[in-house]
Amino acid sequence: VIDEVPEQADGAQPEAEVMRRCRDGDRDAFGQIVKRYAGRAIGAALLLLGDHDEAQDASQEAFVRAWRNIRKFDPSRRFFPWYGTILRNICISRLRRRSGKRTVELLDGASGTPPEAGPVLLAERNERKDRIWRAIRQLSETQREVIVMNHFQEMSYREMAEALDIPLGTVMSRLHNARAALRKRLANEAHEL
Amino acid sequence: MNCDDIRPLIAGYLDGELTPDERARVEEHVGSCPDCARELREQQALKEELDTMSFREPTDAELDRYWQSVYNRLERGVGWLMFTIGAAVVACYGAFILVEETVLDPSVALIFKIGIVALGLGTVVLFVSILRERLAVRRSDRYSSGVKR
Repeated sequence: VIDEVPEQADGAQPEAEVMRRCRDGDRDAFGQIVKRYAGRAIGAALLLLGDHDEAQDASQEAFVRAWRNIRKFDPSRRFFPWYGTILRNICISRLRRRSGKRTVELLDGASGTPPEAGPVLLAERNERKDRIWRAIRQLSETQREVIVMNHFQEMSYREMAEALDIPLGTVMSRLHNARAALRKRLANEAHEL
Repeated sequence: MNCDDIRPLIAGYLDGELTPDERARVEEHVGSCPDCARELREQQALKEELDTMSFREPTDAELDRYWQSVYNRLERGVGWLMFTIGAAVVACYGAFILVEETVLDPSVALIFKIGIVALGLGTVVLFVSILRERLAVRRSDRYSSGVKR
């Protein structure tokens, strides 16, 4: 379980120190946190929502909500997994509003046509990585969110279990199934080429 | 343990999330099961690929614009809160004065007084009903919650 607050190698203040200042109401400190994580926040929201403008808006809304709840944050823990829980809830609410269906139906992957891949916001791009991005976007919401949480939001299984309100064993099996589905999609796509 | 018991543990094994006992069980099983050993190798290869993927970092100018937008929203939140409280106080007080003056004014027709009182009571009932529904949804809907811990 990764729970330690990361040290900053670039000379910036350690995250725990910046978060303590945020808890004291320092908006400049919060600005540092927002800038540090904006790229990852937009990327994670984009993988979940598929639309760049909406991803940007959702990630900003999540930062606003994080600020309003900053006193509930434990500065000995890492910010981004905590923020990721807020962001995920906002994205799921938006997906639910967008579809006009009950969340359970949506999360069970009952939606019809596969979602569009949208723009690819990867630091390094090549054909293989773009293909993986598209394949992630084509997973069901349930599978996609565990992939995003685990690989792009740096959440431990315990943090994922808390965010999703499910047992640790279910996190493990969901992640296993998500990776298996992703592998299958990639294999099928390679076969079609 | 059979393959169905081991396969769900493979993700935890690769992510270092298993107990020593569970790890030992996975290793023992894959040592004697070619199918699960292949599953482990393939999942490991995919995980390694996913681990090399990271999001593009915005430029400094993009980050400045992004933070400015978040900052504006933070300020607007305080503005909206004050506006809502102020509007509620003014509306309630104004409605109270209007109802009081209308009801006490002997020159106003009785039917109009009844209409004004019914309008006021109806507004209160609707407001309480919507508020109660919203609170019930908020308590039962886990996706409406912003922060869980």
